[in-house]
Amino acid sequence: MGLSSAAEIDGAQLCIFDLRRGQQEGQELDKILFFHPADCPILLQLSVIGLCEGIITFTRIFSPEDDCEVIESDKHCHVFYQAEPDIWMVLVVQKIKDNESTLRFGALQGILKESHSLFAMFHGPIRTLLDRQPSAEFARGHLHTFITDYLSDFSVGKKLQLPTYRDSLTERGTVQMLTVSREVALEVQSLTTVLGSCLRNVICQSVVLFEDLLVSTTLPMDDTLNLYTYAILRLTPSALSSNGNSWSYLRKGGYVNADTTLSSANGAASAERYNSRSRDTSPGGQNQMHHNFRPLQREKLSKGKDGFVAADFVTTEIRGAVPLNPILWFHQAEERMYLCVYQHKNLTILLVIPASSLINGEEGIAHVKRHLLENASQNIVTVEQKLSRGWGGENAYHVGGYRYILSDPNRKVSRASPPGKVITLSKDSLLALNRLRGEIDLEKSRAKRSDPTHDKDYEVCIRAKNNAWIIAKISRGKELYMAIEKGGETLLYASTAVEKFSNRYCEGAFSTD
Amino acid sequence: MDPAPDPPAADEALAALSLRGADLPADFASAGGGHEIAEEEDEDDEGYVTAASRGGSSTAASRRREEFEGLEEEEEDAYGDAGPPSPSSSGYAGERGSSVASSAGAGGGIEEAEPDPAPPLAPGAEDWARGKKHADEDDGSASWRKRKKHFFILSNSGKPIYSRYGDEHRLAGFSATLQAIVSFVENSGDHIKFVRAGKHQIVFLVKGPIYLVCISCTEETFEGLRGQLELMYGQMLLILTKSVNRCFEKNPKFDMAPLLGGTDAVFLCLIRAFSWNPATFLHAYTCLPLAQSTRQAASAVLQDIADSGVLFALLMCDHKVISLVGAQKATLHPDDILLLANFILSSESFRTSESFSPICLPRYNPMAFLYAYVHFFDENTYLTLLTPRSDAFFDLKDSRARIQDVLLKSNVLLEVQRSLHENVLRVEDVPIDPTSQSTSAPAQSSQGLNSQPLSSDEAIGGPAGLWHFIYKSVYLDQYVSSEVALPIRNPKQQKRLYKAYQKVYASMHDKATGPHKTQFRRTEDYVMLSWITQDFELYAAFSPLADKHTYFADPSDQDMQQSMPVDQGFRGQSVHIRRKHHCLVIFCLAIPSLLGRCMRFVSVTFTNVVCFIHDDHCSRQVQANNWFSICISSMGSGAISHLCGL
Repeated sequence: MGLSSAAEIDGAQLCIFDLRRGQQEGQELDKILFFHPADCPILLQLSVIGLCEGIITFTRIFSPEDDCEVIESDKHCHVFYQAEPDIWMVLVVQKIKDNESTLRFGALQGILKESHSLFAMFHGPIRTLLDRQPSAEFARGHLHTFITDYLSDFSVGKKLQLPTYRDSLTERGTVQMLTVSREVALEVQSLTTVLGSCLRNVICQSVVLFEDLLVSTTLPMDDTLNLYTYAILRLTPSALSSNGNSWSYLRKGGYVNADTTLSSANGAASAERYNSRSRDTSPGGQNQMHHNFRPLQREKLSKGKDGFVAADFVTTEIRGAVPLNPILWFHQAEERMYLCVYQHKNLTILLVIPASSLINGEEGIAHVKRHLLENASQNIVTVEQKLSRGWGGENAYHVGGYRYILSDPNRKVSRASPPGKVITLSKDSLLALNRLRGEIDLEKSRAKRSDPTHDKDYEVCIRAKNNAWIIAKISRGKELYMAIEKGGETLLYASTAVEKFSNRYCEGAFSTD
Repeated sequence: MDPAPDPPAADEALAALSLRGADLPADFASAGGGHEIAEEEDEDDEGYVTAASRGGSSTAASRRREEFEGLEEEEEDAYGDAGPPSPSSSGYAGERGSSVASSAGAGGGIEEAEPDPAPPLAPGAEDWARGKKHADEDDGSASWRKRKKHFFILSNSGKPIYSRYGDEHRLAGFSATLQAIVSFVENSGDHIKFVRAGKHQIVFLVKGPIYLVCISCTEETFEGLRGQLELMYGQMLLILTKSVNRCFEKNPKFDMAPLLGGTDAVFLCLIRAFSWNPATFLHAYTCLPLAQSTRQAASAVLQDIADSGVLFALLMCDHKVISLVGAQKATLHPDDILLLANFILSSESFRTSESFSPICLPRYNPMAFLYAYVHFFDENTYLTLLTPRSDAFFDLKDSRARIQDVLLKSNVLLEVQRSLHENVLRVEDVPIDPTSQSTSAPAQSSQGLNSQPLSSDEAIGGPAGLWHFIYKSVYLDQYVSSEVALPIRNPKQQKRLYKAYQKVYASMHDKATGPHKTQFRRTEDYVMLSWITQDFELYAAFSPLADKHTYFADPSDQDMQQSMPVDQGFRGQSVHIRRKHHCLVIFCLAIPSLLGRCMRFVSVTFTNVVCFIHDDHCSRQVQANNWFSICISSMGSGAISHLCGL
């Protein structure tokens, strides 16, 4: 009984495979680009991928246009994401016995989407890497270090702790914005203008964050989201200050610490394995093609005395071959750009400079930095002061009595109750909310398939068995989910509560009239 | 004796599946894109037109069934050509019956049949070929792949047993693939539940050596589809009993398909019921509305028979129970009633002559056969007498004659026919509460969500935009539902309504978080309200265009609070109930202290004065809780049982 899919491995697995590779019998191993945990026996890896590939093929018989999304069994949940044509990411989550609906497919797939987007931002599409080097050494090496570093955020001990029902009031793949007054907005505007002119003749782009919230961006939406996500994961003051996790999951820092080293060790071991054959074929000059480029490695990031966040991505042996400032690929802007991070107190500025405009890489960056310090310092201090003055603290967006998440998938923006308030909800409420969100996810994807141009309105109010109101409302493409535990018992109460919330905090987006 | 199927075989099959995949995509491309789906949609409409044009001649119930038959794009043509294949007392069932009779032991029938795995199913074998839908299709046909809902039954060695579309033999390869998937996961100590890809859902159910699979793009819930597979399995057991498993123990490669030869129509009829019969997901049965005295007359004579060695005596009209009597302590599960009625109604031969057929009630005892004596008194009304004795035919025949006498003398059969035509629950008959006319306008005059005025068609329905409701009494395992109102009489819409009900039902009864207490759900098609208590479950559908203020009103509105003292208003309406001569009548009352326009459903027999089943409960809800816009009342726990003569 050697080939069991996932039963023999504790916890979650994540694999990335390319269906265009390993077509010949006996070469199946060549399909695998990444597998977590790296020490999983090869036979087991092949078994997992065999099942996934079989199911992908099978579902195409009936559904040639839509990807296979999920395999649900009693003990496991396989979540699929076709990141690039024929390149699949599959997350295998082990279920805990007694809570069947604790997982939400959309939330789990969000992890796959996010990790791939980030990877592509730093390394370019996987397919490009594979095309450039058919032996796939670099693709595997980068995926290993990158995804392993990414997963370290979810590691608790040896296991991955993935989003469960407790995260039903979070939404991966969205940006949380800071609401600013008109006066501050003008200041921010002038800061952006100064930042834009850091380089003569070429306009630089910028993303400005205050704490973990987005203040302004000049990049397109998707690129903003990627950069924002990266900033939240690794660059903001809270991310830099703690080796623990700044992500909205409340996790114990100690565990994360221990595991970071552990997963790094794993990564190194596996990189060794993958790189053993052709270590020296790396095309020089491209930072993305370097083995040791690890933008998600926590310990490599620190804030320098000059205020710039130094990205010491270069490891020991070949310092100097990799620029200190990584070049990123911005998918939506279709441009390669240098990333330069400046931080002043709680304000984080991500400046991106078109790579094509800097003939002499690092020197050019140094010039930009100088320019920023000389011309923008005053603006930065002013903006930071004003934002700090108006900042309501971590509970700034708490609304008494409500536990909510408000999101606009079209603009990729969300706002939610602070995590510290969400944990006060009972398990029953969170479970019911998670279940409802799963159901709405399905309705949304159905609606999208039947008519992508038309936003369907939807509304559900459930009085759960613990007397909490669990509410979901989609109106003109915007979504609101909430749980109200200490409310009246009439449906009218729930309806009025939504109405009030909508009028006060959503500019009436969810109001009936 | 063949060795047990070894895991490597399964793995090989999966590898084969992967290999097949290499050449599949090109094939898919040629298999066509969206246009064929569009064609199916057209077929849907076409089916409707045909059905509508021939509707009306029959009773309401059978008309509805016909419409749905029309709606089922695939079924229609086959039924048009040659009647559905049927297990008959002379053919399939009789064959099996006699063999079982000789074996005497419970469940021995399968073994008896084994030496002759392909019994001379005179009409059956032909029926199979004739009755099979689109028998020329297989997994290579584009049309087959585009079918909206497939059902498969196969054995754990991959042998096909049943497929809704296409010839089972030609689907052997496909069946092996399904088996490989299931076994692959089973071998790892896990059990596969479902796979989802876009709008397609593949749901698996493993029952010992039998695998059941549904592949559907009908947007039904996993729970719903899984329940349907359970019923498919139940239907199979009803025909064969669970002792068929022993055949697989003896020979893992046992070919079970011939044992089900000729029963395609039974499964097709059941599959059709999934889209119109609420009993398939409610796990409750419904009764034909009748005057209490009529039902008592029927029940009395059935009771006499039950005392003389019959296990269950059932008098039914189509899918509705007229009266049901069980021997001491024996209870009939609603699912068994559903499957039994489906078995009988889907077989033409039961209608033409009295029959004595072995059947198994899977919820009563899945291992053993009972013997069913079935006789149709008229087109819709039939008597089923169930006994454990295989030699009881002549006794039961005599009993039937006695019953028939009484039913004729007491005009029960006439009343049944009248009830079929007249005693239907229409939301249109729900009186618009006179006291609330001034306070809240009914939906008809309201502006919709999209600010479009309702068309005249849409405007027809019950008060407050009520289109349909289902009420289930938990204690009695019974439900009542209204006729579908005009706005949703289009079979396609009706099908959509049932899917919406199924969704709400699944949501309310979620395993981990349910049952919820209430739910309000607004989509572009409906507003659905559901309410579950220990005693009952209520599901109601309203027009999505109905103004929300028809459900919601300010409870602090003093005028409204005073306008309708609950009990007074209720008694006032009871006069109306008697006059209507409806067994069950729905009421819509504005109970202002609830949420503005409040619905009150009342179930009563017309011979009785109104009383409250949930009297305390209801009043408390109305006066103290004031929380929901629907309230139920009926006659006390005896009421519905009176209706069905229990």
